[in-house]
Amino acid sequence: MNVFISGGCKNGKSFHAQKLAREMAAEQDLPLYYLATMIPVDDEDRARIKRHLSERDGWGFDTIEQGTDICACLSSRTLSGNAVSASGVFLLDSVTALLSNEMFPPDGSPDMEAPERLAKQLAAFARLTGNTVFVSDYIYSDAFIYDPLTEAYRRGLALLDRTLTGICSSVIEVSYGFTKEHKKRGVL
Amino acid sequence: MVLIFGGAYQGKSDFALRTFGLEEKDLFFCTVDNTPDWGAKALCNAEQLFLQLTKNNVDVVRFLSDNIDKLEDKIITVNDVSQGVVPIDSTLRAWREATGRAMLFLASNSCQVYRVFCGIEERIK
Repeated sequence: MNVFISGGCKNGKSFHAQKLAREMAAEQDLPLYYLATMIPVDDEDRARIKRHLSERDGWGFDTIEQGTDICACLSSRTLSGNAVSASGVFLLDSVTALLSNEMFPPDGSPDMEAPERLAKQLAAFARLTGNTVFVSDYIYSDAFIYDPLTEAYRRGLALLDRTLTGICSSVIEVSYGFTKEHKKRGVL
Repeated sequence: MVLIFGGAYQGKSDFALRTFGLEEKDLFFCTVDNTPDWGAKALCNAEQLFLQLTKNNVDVVRFLSDNIDKLEDKIITVNDVSQGVVPIDSTLRAWREATGRAMLFLASNSCQVYRVFCGIEERIK
């Protein structure tokens, strides 16, 4: 089952997603992968990654690092050296970081085609794995007038979100630890 | 009156199109500097009209109640701008509050209210 999870910042999305992915893997006796999407650029990022790795310690995740071209990870290896199996359960945290990586490459020239391209890649990833928990961020309800580039990023992320909610069997909004299922398997 | 709200780019006008048998020509998109077309079946991005009114020091709820007869058969979509940081700019701050009050007014006067989240609607009234 593919699952889409979104909500505000620090609302408990990742924790809920981790629990769900672990349950899915345990129920079906499948490998459990954590798809780490952040590309570290400085010591602050590296410290954050270290913290995230230690927070996931003991959860049973085999970590895969893939910041761009997400489907390529299916023919790669995990940090611990295991070959990745597309039939495992994947936790992709987050769609938001993937879009940043694809849209704002290190050379500084924004790639405005990135949202359309990534929407196709994520749809393919959902189809190829069939058991992915996608985590995104709800960044659409503030009273601020953004610059055109930031606005394009918000519009792009919303395209990815709507693409994924169309594909995923379950769509969950997390609000401060509470969950609301907007789409349930077999209901819509 | 039908109120459809949700965050930016969530698919509010798409929902209006597919649910209420509308065509693109039936939608009027408000901006900070256009005048609402009261003949349109749906007024979209009404928060932009509220920003325009706020900038012109017009009380938004007063404006809506003065025009309630024109709104009666309308479908109105509003981008919910209530959930971010309080803006430092006083106009945007006033706009954020005016939009909240306007949505309360519209919701209480609507026979149907929907929230759209990532392309999925939920009827809440």
